[in-house]
Amino acid sequence: METLSLLASGFTVALTPLNLSLLFAGCFVGTLIGAMPGLGPVNGVAILIPLTFAFGLDATSSLILLSAVYFGTMYGGRISSILLNIPGDEPAVMTTLDGYPMAQKGQAVDALALSGVASFVGATIAVIGLSLFAPLLARAAIHFGPADYFALYIMAFATIGGVAGVDPRKTLLSALIGLMIATVGLDPISGVPRYTGGNFHIYDGIEPIVALVGLFAISEILMLLEKHIKDRVGAIRVDGWMPSLSTILSTKWAMVRGSLIGFIAGVLPGAGASLGSVMSYSIEKQASDKDGTFGQGDPRGVAAPEAGNNAASGGALIPMLSLGVPGSGTTAVMLAMLISLNVQPGPLLFERQPDLVWGLVASLYMANVTLLILNIPLIGIFTRLMAVPTWALMPIVAAVSFVGVFSISNSVFDLEVMIAFGVIGYILRKMDISLVPLVLGLLLGGDMERNLRRAMSISDGDWSILLQSWISITLYVLTLAFLALSVWLAMRSNKRGKSRRFEA
Amino acid sequence: MTSTRLLAAVIFVIAAVYTWYGSTYSVAFGDVLGPSVFPVIVGIPAMLLSGSLVVFPGGGIDWPDRSHLFRQAAAIAVLLGYAWLLTPLGFPIATFGLIAALGAVLGGDPLKSVVLGVVMSLALWVMFDQILGLPLAFLGSIFGG
Repeated sequence: METLSLLASGFTVALTPLNLSLLFAGCFVGTLIGAMPGLGPVNGVAILIPLTFAFGLDATSSLILLSAVYFGTMYGGRISSILLNIPGDEPAVMTTLDGYPMAQKGQAVDALALSGVASFVGATIAVIGLSLFAPLLARAAIHFGPADYFALYIMAFATIGGVAGVDPRKTLLSALIGLMIATVGLDPISGVPRYTGGNFHIYDGIEPIVALVGLFAISEILMLLEKHIKDRVGAIRVDGWMPSLSTILSTKWAMVRGSLIGFIAGVLPGAGASLGSVMSYSIEKQASDKDGTFGQGDPRGVAAPEAGNNAASGGALIPMLSLGVPGSGTTAVMLAMLISLNVQPGPLLFERQPDLVWGLVASLYMANVTLLILNIPLIGIFTRLMAVPTWALMPIVAAVSFVGVFSISNSVFDLEVMIAFGVIGYILRKMDISLVPLVLGLLLGGDMERNLRRAMSISDGDWSILLQSWISITLYVLTLAFLALSVWLAMRSNKRGKSRRFEA
Repeated sequence: MTSTRLLAAVIFVIAAVYTWYGSTYSVAFGDVLGPSVFPVIVGIPAMLLSGSLVVFPGGGIDWPDRSHLFRQAAAIAVLLGYAWLLTPLGFPIATFGLIAALGAVLGGDPLKSVVLGVVMSLALWVMFDQILGLPLAFLGSIFGG
């Protein structure tokens, strides 16, 4: 009951004219970003963060905008999967398997509508889960001391790279590079300048927002330039939007199963939306593929991964808000924004700023309804805008990134830092080093060091304090188990000679 | 393989220099751990991991061919040029240059890229400066703007 009254007060926050218009704008922009091949949730959210700063939005409004964009990209990603056979973003890869064949059979309208409904079901189940479980997790996390937080951060770094066959050395190295960058600037406790080379621009440290726009948006342009850009095959035409209701109803269990699996994948650290949709699809295939119709346009093969990736993206907000540890790349980027606005996510957030948490939850319920309308009756807008070619899209993306970063502080130095991080990001991506752990290290580094030093002050320099509580021991054991699992998976997939990355 | 080794070696050297510098920071009193321990805790594993990538690279890199490398270099030059010319030229002119040049580098038809640059630089200026209220200079410092 307490949850309901908190939620009601959340709706009063979410229903202010400013927050409502941000919500609608975010849903629209998000669906568009998701639908455009080449722009995924991480890049989309990263580009928009500097703009929320430039406009001076408060933390609640910024978070509402970015979460609406995040949810929107998850809805939008399916559109190009179904019509072009090109996933609009990484989590939508699985939707191509049955979505495109359905469209080829002339059922494009059904495929789009049922995946829209599946997205709605998945995301709504996730938001209900968020309303119920996030406060519980936050209540448990209040018992964490400084040493336990240090252990939690170690676990976050070890797990954020995901389990899916990437070399775990590279994931950890990426996190360490992020931590190295985080120590640049004045030491927060003693005031000693570290690694500044006397350059006063970086006494305050590297601004994470500037770095991550470079890492994600600018490096994406460099990635695009290394391929020969060719014209895409024409999209399958869509006439009308009225789907056949019986097709949608026939997939209801696939949607529910996909949502639950995706939600669990989203809450777990390091899994995220891509793994959510992969797991939902493969489990649905095992459960329902009796006649071998999966892969040839089976509606259940469209419903399950779409419900899964949307549920996972909602689930990923839970550890981010209640522990301050993001479960996916996009939530890591959102964490960057909150930290830059001096909002420290974690258990105390639920006590100190209930308006922010419950305002966000309330607007996510409304975002889902908005997105359902945008993505079924108004789908025509996006199928037209999707035709914008890459050569025209990316320069505009670059210009918007520059506007955002430049208007934070009108500093040319920031723009140079952004470009430099674009090049660094490109080189690391070429080395198959995921950028998400780096961002996490850059963000959490300061806090991690403070917690370590606080713990050591309490113990007067005795390192055994790090292993004195059951919470931290449990966390270290989980971390080791996870690392052992990912090393094992990496060796196995090395044998198969195949590796795939899951970041979003 | 070789380029992974080379880049890992570069990271190793950076981590080593980082650790060495980090170990020199000190304060006289008041702080049990001091500013140097955390950089050392971070730097040494970074040296170990990058060192292990030098020895066992675990996969090579497919670099783009020469013409694509040239395009990438051109794109970086355009971006840097924009960063340096934004204040002198003002938003619409600099942004026109950015969009038109990047459009062409990305393989768009040159004429279409120029048209896109004209339209979008003005549209973005109107949207951000006029509608959304984000101040962006119309004319740059060399025009006395």
